[in-house]
Amino acid sequence: MKKFVFSLIILLSTLSATTHAQCNESVKKAVLELMGDAQYIKDFSVTLEKAPNEAKTGMVRFNVLLNNRNHYKFNVANGAANPDGIIMQLYDKDELLSSNFDGGKKYAGFEFVCRATKVYQLVFSFAGGQEGCAEAVLSLVKQYSEGEMNF
Amino acid sequence: MYKNLLFTLLIMAGMQFLSSCAGCSDSGKKSQGDALTLPDSLISDAPLRLSEEIMNEVIGNISSPVEMAGLFKNSGVDFTQRILNNPDNVSRYETSYQRALNLGVYSADLGYINTFDKNNIVVSYLLAVKNLADGIRVGQFFDFNALRRMASSSTNLDSLMEMSQTSFNKMDSYLREQNRSNVSSLIVTGAWVEGMYIASNIVRESGDKELSDRIAEQKNVVNILEIILSNYASDAGFAELVQSVEDLKAAYAPVRITTELGEPQRIEKDGSLIFIQAEVSTVHYSPEDLENIMATIENIRAKIVN
Repeated sequence: MKKFVFSLIILLSTLSATTHAQCNESVKKAVLELMGDAQYIKDFSVTLEKAPNEAKTGMVRFNVLLNNRNHYKFNVANGAANPDGIIMQLYDKDELLSSNFDGGKKYAGFEFVCRATKVYQLVFSFAGGQEGCAEAVLSLVKQYSEGEMNF
Repeated sequence: MYKNLLFTLLIMAGMQFLSSCAGCSDSGKKSQGDALTLPDSLISDAPLRLSEEIMNEVIGNISSPVEMAGLFKNSGVDFTQRILNNPDNVSRYETSYQRALNLGVYSADLGYINTFDKNNIVVSYLLAVKNLADGIRVGQFFDFNALRRMASSSTNLDSLMEMSQTSFNKMDSYLREQNRSNVSSLIVTGAWVEGMYIASNIVRESGDKELSDRIAEQKNVVNILEIILSNYASDAGFAELVQSVEDLKAAYAPVRITTELGEPQRIEKDGSLIFIQAEVSTVHYSPEDLENIMATIENIRAKIVN
């Protein structure tokens, strides 16, 4: 019995440590590595929990101000327990501009060359409204001059 | 006895599980409670016109010192310390209102300093940031010793920029989670005004087209700032700031931003996806419009730092 109680204490300590670390430090470190040489601007912690109110739990949205002639990078790293990779999408109101889920393939991120300064919406979700967590980072790859914008 | 102990442990396990899950989404929301609320007039009983949730969405990342600093460097104009707020001015800022605004100002200065690798003065600015952050009880997000160690090595300046930016982001998230968006809005405003002020100085010296366009393109941001700050206009300090932003909005009125639609482009390069936006915006303004905007920004900045 003593052994059982001792084991339970150890288990609780471990559970506590892992649940906190799962989508914080290790995942954040991973996403910062994905960022590479780009310059860090902002990070986003995403947690999606399944609840009866699907509208509330199906996605999470952040507003980001992006500037004209800036080349941005959006990276995302998934929590170890995620059932599937998280989907990260950039919207301008209702218009989908870019996504890490493209052509049936999931990427660890995408880059976006912005040509209009305004507030955009960064949306995270799992297919089928699954729950999980992820860390994402927005970074700056390059700032173009007006003459360089003729893509 | 073991039965009771086991029962207690199971209860603890349940509580631990619940608290660790809650921590995923609401980390720190109630962690320090009243210990970090402001003691002065920044807190008002007047009802907010926008909910905290909407405020959080509106604030976003209005001012990014990283992006502005990059433009400053690209302009080719040499670093000038005289245009920055003197770190010795910190002792003048006695109210939380002044401290929050100038914390934003120094954060933008720090971005400018870091970009030009001026590690000989970075410590005094870090200290100014730390003092002001302590003054509004958010100093815990700045590991001053670690930042100072990084500043002492020129090879660590990129990391310094990242760490100081991360510290500001954590502080901003914390303030908003604690329903202290009023403080957060002042920091954001201070940082934005200082970024525009430095940009104005560089434009005056060099006539840099990219920076001039960036200043003019901020028309929409001024509208956002007005919405945010108006929310707290029942406070006298905020009311004065709102008036200043309204003056700036008037200065921006002649600026026009037009958009045209092209074809979106998708490029896959080295395993990375690159999307090029279809919408292309162009900003239209006259030299007089720009001069009027810059003069108004300089006026607002003077009110903040003096």
